Amino acid sequence: MVDAFLFWFLAIVTVLAGLSVVLMTNPIYSALSLVMTMVGVAALFVTLEAYFLAGVQLIVYAGAVMVLFVMVLMLFDLKHELQAFTRGKITGGVKIASVGIIAGLVVGAITLGTKALELSKAGAETSKPVVDSTKALAENLFLKNVFGFEALGVVLLVIAVGTVALSRTKGGTHARD
Amino acid sequence: MMNMGSTPFEITVNIIKTVLVFLMMVQLVPILVWVERRGSAFIQNRFGPNRIGPLGLMQLLADAVKFLTKEDFVPDKGNKYLFYAAPVFALIPAAIAYMAIPMSTPLIIGDSKFLIQGFEINVGIVFILGISSLAAYTILMAGWGSGSKFSLMGAMRASAQIISYELALGLSIVGVIMTYGTFNLTDIIQAQQGHLSFSFFSHQIESAFLPNWGIFYQPLGAIIFLAATFAESNRLPFDLAEGEAELVAGFHTEYGGFKMLMFFIGEYGHMMIASGLMATFFFGGYGIPYVTTKEVYEFFLSSTGVETTAHVLNTLVHFLSYNIKFIFFLWFFIHVRWTLPRFRYDQLMDLGWKTMLPWALANTIVTAIIIFASAQFSF
Repeated sequence: MVDAFLFWFLAIVTVLAGLSVVLMTNPIYSALSLVMTMVGVAALFVTLEAYFLAGVQLIVYAGAVMVLFVMVLMLFDLKHELQAFTRGKITGGVKIASVGIIAGLVVGAITLGTKALELSKAGAETSKPVVDSTKALAENLFLKNVFGFEALGVVLLVIAVGTVALSRTKGGTHARD
Repeated sequence: MMNMGSTPFEITVNIIKTVLVFLMMVQLVPILVWVERRGSAFIQNRFGPNRIGPLGLMQLLADAVKFLTKEDFVPDKGNKYLFYAAPVFALIPAAIAYMAIPMSTPLIIGDSKFLIQGFEINVGIVFILGISSLAAYTILMAGWGSGSKFSLMGAMRASAQIISYELALGLSIVGVIMTYGTFNLTDIIQAQQGHLSFSFFSHQIESAFLPNWGIFYQPLGAIIFLAATFAESNRLPFDLAEGEAELVAGFHTEYGGFKMLMFFIGEYGHMMIASGLMATFFFGGYGIPYVTTKEVYEFFLSSTGVETTAHVLNTLVHFLSYNIKFIFFLWFFIHVRWTLPRFRYDQLMDLGWKTMLPWALANTIVTAIIIFASAQFSF
């Protein structure tokens, strides 16, 4: 009973927050709603007993990435951005396109989800609950998929270096000349 | 799921515990404010608040009445919703994160086992870091919602500082996690009991006068952790969010009355989390130095003869031990504020990114090498 209550409560909060990301006209409200969605997803991970994943979701996405988003958004003069965001032919086209993409995602998720449900029903009897999920995650990352993991790290490093190089040459805040 | 309550009894106990821990935190704040004001007065050769009640202790009540009766206003250019939401959100992360810190041995009465912490979570450290990292939003919401340039600039500074030092903070704990091989705070405390003893090149070394505390295994980690928590809770010498001459009061320039008080409670809440974690990771948590919890329990059992009484006394003594360490670190936080001068902003960022982060990384790598080598070559 408690589990069902928690799931429905968190699911409704997460979906509402996710909807308000798209429906809010003020970009700051959208960003804060996205934070709320992240927190909701982290809480849903907790109900699935994936505690480590929940913690990492909070630290990385809610605690670091979105803080930067919100910080940058708050520095803008939003009155101009607000109008550009809500009116105009190009944004209208983008909106219609994104509605199509989201509809496709929803349909895909439902069709794949029903398949996954059948699979999980079949596998539920055989698979045991993992006691130490942190250890299992670490083994998966650092033993089985270590090459992909390290390659992703290199890609992220390249992105960081590229960002610094671009912002320095194009007269960013720390430009020398 | 995670002992959150499968029966109505457990649910009731958990709700009562949640309320109790929250009230403990909130009730500690006025006392800390009093210690801070009297302590600063003592250091600066002043009197401080000494008129109301014995030693000025009733000043807290008078302040509370003043905060409650102040006019409740919203700045004209501010954003009303964010302005009201920010102080409320300032309380939540601090309170939830503090509940994960174990404060004493579990109280066992009959068949029931009551944990002296809000909830036990197997990845306690990750949970606390994750929840307390949400505090940056409160500051941003307050700064932007106030609609004032002082507030916004203060909020930018404070949140940039918080996310910069979060890295060093997280990395300084990685050494502790690797040393004890667990994320669970109770397990970390259990591993720190008794005398300092470890095996070194197949010699079992046991110290006669040092307790088995984490600070002797991770001294650099402890120093970085302490410095980073000062920055995380936005206190001197890292209180760049405020500055009377440049930024007025930073992100809470426009706040007054009870909303201001809630920011205060949030800030002290972060101090409490930092003190509790410092005690847990590096100073044995609720453990009493030199003795294990089991020895204490057996002592009480042999002297009273009743199991329940022994359990209750055991829990009480360890709760006291935890609180002595906890209050010492709170006092230390307050004392440092009135002792050290503040950094300049570029010095602050240099310290965070160019000094503390590399040192924390080096600490992690050296710890990893030592653990790996000791496992491989069994020394």
